[in-house]
Amino acid sequence: MFYIAFRMLVGDRGKFLGIILGLSFASLIMTQQPGVFVGIMTRAYSFITDLGLPDIWVMEPTVQYIDDIKPMPDTYLYRVASVEGVAWAKPLYKGTIQARLHNGTFQTCNLIGLDDATLIGAPAVMIEGKIENLRRTDGIIVNQEGALDKLANPPKYPRGPKIPLKVGQEIELNNHRAVVVGIAQTTRTFQSQPVVYTTYSNATLFTPPQLNLLSFVLVKAKPGQNLKALCDRIFRRTGLRAYTKEDFKSLTVNYYLKYTGIPINFGVSVLLGFLVGAAIAGQTFYNFTLENLRYFGVLKAMGTSEKTLLLMIIFQALIISFIGYGIGVGCTGIFDLLTQNTMLAFRFPWQLFIFSIFGIFIISSFAALISIRKVITLEPAIVFKS
Amino acid sequence: MTQEEFAVTCKELIKSYGHGETKITALRGVNLEVRSGEMMMLAGPSGCGKTTLISVIASILNQDNGECKVYGHDLNHMSKTERIAFRSKNIGFVFQAFNLFPSLTAAENVAIPLVIGGMDIKEATQKGCELLNEMGLGDRVSDVPADLSGGQQQRVAIARAMIHGPRLIVCDEPTSALDGHTGQKIMELIKKVALDETRAIIVVTHDSRIFSFADRIAKMEDGQILKVVNSYEEFED
Ligand SMILES: Nc1ncnc2c1ncn2[C@@H]1O[C@H](COP(=O)(O)OP(=O)(O)OP(=O)(O)O)[C@@H](O)[C@H]1O
Ligand SMILES: [Mg+2]
Repeated sequence: MFYIAFRMLVGDRGKFLGIILGLSFASLIMTQQPGVFVGIMTRAYSFITDLGLPDIWVMEPTVQYIDDIKPMPDTYLYRVASVEGVAWAKPLYKGTIQARLHNGTFQTCNLIGLDDATLIGAPAVMIEGKIENLRRTDGIIVNQEGALDKLANPPKYPRGPKIPLKVGQEIELNNHRAVVVGIAQTTRTFQSQPVVYTTYSNATLFTPPQLNLLSFVLVKAKPGQNLKALCDRIFRRTGLRAYTKEDFKSLTVNYYLKYTGIPINFGVSVLLGFLVGAAIAGQTFYNFTLENLRYFGVLKAMGTSEKTLLLMIIFQALIISFIGYGIGVGCTGIFDLLTQNTMLAFRFPWQLFIFSIFGIFIISSFAALISIRKVITLEPAIVFKS
Repeated sequence: MTQEEFAVTCKELIKSYGHGETKITALRGVNLEVRSGEMMMLAGPSGCGKTTLISVIASILNQDNGECKVYGHDLNHMSKTERIAFRSKNIGFVFQAFNLFPSLTAAENVAIPLVIGGMDIKEATQKGCELLNEMGLGDRVSDVPADLSGGQQQRVAIARAMIHGPRLIVCDEPTSALDGHTGQKIMELIKKVALDETRAIIVVTHDSRIFSFADRIAKMEDGQILKVVNSYEEFED
């Protein structure tokens, strides 16, 4: 009987493709849009991800997310370092600064100041130059995207290509001379400004005079420490908020979820895609059943049990779900491959797989359900209608 | 003749559709006996209840009142499962509109009742091929219905109605979608290959040209059987 169900389903190529297309579209929307969403969200905290070494981030208690900088006095560094269980504590400056370009225009940059001695927090991948060169007087490392575009030199002739910023060149940061000693690769963040790395003490020179400069204290725990307990201890001893790396990511993501329209916008487009996909797939499958009602009636008249008819319809729904899901997720996968290393944020974690399988399951069960109802209540006597 | 030798016995069958003002009574106390081994034709004006009657006999429709037995079995008093099982074993159908599955080959279409009975599709299709061979359609077994002529399609449908050896075959207007000559051929075929001592065939028809194939003809009018006669001449009286 499954063979007959299968032939009924694929007998009309056009209709069959229509159903498959609906489901493919639904699963594409259900995976691609959330994929972009997840991608954007991971971008929100990619700065934290990139900073691999420390276990714990310590900050002013009212900080809400990674770009919410509330400077602290430098002395806090030593108070954190003295908390029991802390292997080391290093300062990190994170802020913005005005760069003056060769053509006289200004560009806002993110300035990262790293601990002078250890350079902890330095970018992992250097494209040109060495991290150690940061210790040279006025040395800075610029991220590649910034060097290629926003900080690049003006073109030789009008409308020509910009000439990338190179190692050895000078730029002006807030009226201070700075020398490019390296180009680094960094993960994209929400902020499109160029990223400039320097040492903590250089950051003090570059930035306008201010009372406090310390943005974060980066902490490495001693081996065997319970990180959450250590965070609590740091809070109790210093009054500063301490988060494990993962908690700080969550804090950042939650901030964006709560205070930006991003989740709503994506939620709506996912929901719409889901509904449109469900409507198309459900409708075409239901239509298919309607058109085949006469044949289900023939089977019923000839003595096919309701259970068998039910299984046939479920079988048909399963086939279209599998194929539709395969094509949809396949397209998403291709999208994933194509967008790697581009501006587009896209991630495809396993949770999305589960989510979309569940979604497709709901759509096809719904389509199957209305079809089953129709077939079960069908009077077999319709077979005599001409 | 005992009860058991009757293929079908109907007593005071009543069946109506709808409720209240729109209620239509299609059968108003039908009495009919069909013997095993005979071809009974059911004739009468449009809307007199012929299709309703064979639907009740084939147990795809329940009567409101009265009794209908097929080879002694009162299908109305069976459980749903028993009735479905009984139908799959003992009843074959031929329709005016053929009702062949458009995406299955001729042989596969013929195989359906065997598959419903639990046979493997391959084996059933093989049996379907053999039967189509006997019916002179050996070269069309792999064609889909759309590639067959009307007469050929109806022959496939007849093969499908009898492949599982049912003891009763009901045919609703089997020739009315065909031209006169093809209709004659189809009736000849039904009589030759489908009818035997252990089986009864009920044919609903408008077409007086095929009355000659009947063993008996039941004249129906307005939900009742007026008379059962042995020949066309008596029918007209
Ligand atoms: N499903 C239904 N619902 C309501 N009324 C019906 C239904 N089926 C048949 N009828 C009515 O019952 C009466 C008998 O119908 P039936 O189809 O049995 O007649 P028939 O003798 O087969 O007619 P025909 O020669 O046109 O096929 C008709 O008046 C018809 O309109
Ligand atoms: Mg009729």
